[in-house]
Amino acid sequence: MAGADFTVEQYRRRQRVWDVLESRYVVHLVLFLAVFFIISPLIWQLLTSFKSPQGVLELTYLPTDPTLDAYERALIERGFWRAVVNSVIVASASTVIVMVLGTPAGYVFSRFRFPYDNAVFVFVLFTRLFPPIGLVTPYYRIVTTFGLLNTKTGIVIANVYLWLPLVIYIMRNFFITIPQALDEAARVDGCTKLQAFRHVVFPVVLPGFAAGTILTFLYSWREFLFAFTVSTDLQSMTIPVATFLFVGDAGIDWSAMAAAAIVAVIPSALVVIFFQRYIVVGLTGGLKG
Amino acid sequence: MATEEYRGAPHGGGLSGRLSDWVNDHIRTVLLGPSLVALLVVFIYPAVMLVWLSLQNTRGIGETFEPAYNYGRIFTDPTFWNAVEKTLIYSFGSLFLSVGAGLVVALALNKVLDSRIRNAYSTLILISWAVPLSIVGVTWRWMFNGQLGVVNKVLLDLGVLESSYSWLGNSLSAMVVVILADSWSRIPFAAVVLLAGLQSIPQEMYDAAKMDGATTWQTFRNVTLPYLRPSFFVAGLITWMFAFRAFAIPFSTTGGGPGGATETLAVYIHRFGIQLLDYGFASAVSMFLVAVTLVVATGYVYFILEQIEEIEV
Repeated sequence: MAGADFTVEQYRRRQRVWDVLESRYVVHLVLFLAVFFIISPLIWQLLTSFKSPQGVLELTYLPTDPTLDAYERALIERGFWRAVVNSVIVASASTVIVMVLGTPAGYVFSRFRFPYDNAVFVFVLFTRLFPPIGLVTPYYRIVTTFGLLNTKTGIVIANVYLWLPLVIYIMRNFFITIPQALDEAARVDGCTKLQAFRHVVFPVVLPGFAAGTILTFLYSWREFLFAFTVSTDLQSMTIPVATFLFVGDAGIDWSAMAAAAIVAVIPSALVVIFFQRYIVVGLTGGLKG
Repeated sequence: MATEEYRGAPHGGGLSGRLSDWVNDHIRTVLLGPSLVALLVVFIYPAVMLVWLSLQNTRGIGETFEPAYNYGRIFTDPTFWNAVEKTLIYSFGSLFLSVGAGLVVALALNKVLDSRIRNAYSTLILISWAVPLSIVGVTWRWMFNGQLGVVNKVLLDLGVLESSYSWLGNSLSAMVVVILADSWSRIPFAAVVLLAGLQSIPQEMYDAAKMDGATTWQTFRNVTLPYLRPSFFVAGLITWMFAFRAFAIPFSTTGGGPGGATETLAVYIHRFGIQLLDYGFASAVSMFLVAVTLVVATGYVYFILEQIEEIEV
């Protein structure tokens, strides 16, 4: 592989292209284009949300006379604010339940041997990899049978199915990184196993716990498939569903739809901006051993 | 079992003392039990019902037990094979685009030395990952709208197009749009995973390659790529698997149209199971989707299980 096969001249010639490709200008150009590709659809929604229905038809890039009417139409006239409230409730409740159940479970998988422990862990992974669309049809029937159609409870239960296995897996990976000697030292000092977990190991894993919490919240906030299946009215509907239903209308109010989309994206975007580090840790921590 | 381990100080008598001892002796059950019970209710129950429903004929009124009926229909229904074909095009299109673009972004990010600038870039790029998928769908639907869409507007202003084009009305371009939308939301994930892989490559490897006089391309092929293989594996498999079962984006961008041109299996299942209330057939198709995903996922599980050996306890 080394330079023996070709001369210095050839080496320089081949390397020159790469020196250009690796230069600061090219690197920043690539990143700028990537950011443009990612951000421009959202900017377009933002611009549209400031237009009047007439302004949408005029096909200008910038809103000619910016107005917040679209937000008023979406949030108040169409009752979209209810979906915002529902989303906050559903995402918070799902996150609390999933983290409370999943964190101790992840700890067990990181520390204890028990009969069929690997089989149980594979079951958890299996649950995670099982395609959710496969469960939608039976889930719809179950929810109907138990009178949970059009309830937030029905959506929260679906979120537990979707994210609990993920959190167990992520938390296990975080607990593994903490030396077992820590638990043992705590027990020598007189802690019970539960106290060792609660007062000694858990505080150390808090950054991982934060990552899990943020990921679960974002995922629950984003969830569409089950929320759409379970809820058809504004009593229980979450933001992704409500925004989608704007499009179903005969004459689409594009600027109101854009306003709704912006309202839905703002919380996600804020979470990403403030907790970027945790999200990256959670995404990669959920993948590696 | 508990006596062989550290017990700590005795808790004395009393109800709370005995309760505490019981918790200590059954710590695994106490900590893991609730999760397993929850998974039993929220996963096993619907999963068993899925198998049961797939054996029912639900086409008419009521249900009759006809084990072969739905599975027979799968193989004779031409629209099913259309959905399989579209799912394959969609998932592989998204896989190559997201992982390819993710790699370029990760390589570029890795070259930015100032960590604040790097974080600023990755924050901006991560935003698309956090956007709810149905909103990704309606956004792209809006941008590619035939009359009022910004894409036509830009292309007309630039003189690329002479008249408005109906992007979502044509089978081929509709597929291109949904794949683009899907990749848009998956690129950040691929980039993050690949960047983590890049950053785990020891600097000595690069120093050694430089000493040997390797060109950048040689270094990339012989150092970077081999080290990145596990990250490619993870990013690629996850991206593919999630695109294979994709529902929200094709459903909210095109509704599966025009004429089934972007109807992935998930949209197909939703149409039969929820819209047409033909539970049995939707369940049989779901079983097919589950089987395919799980065959692929098994590979992924083995990959993870290799790492389980690290736990010594």
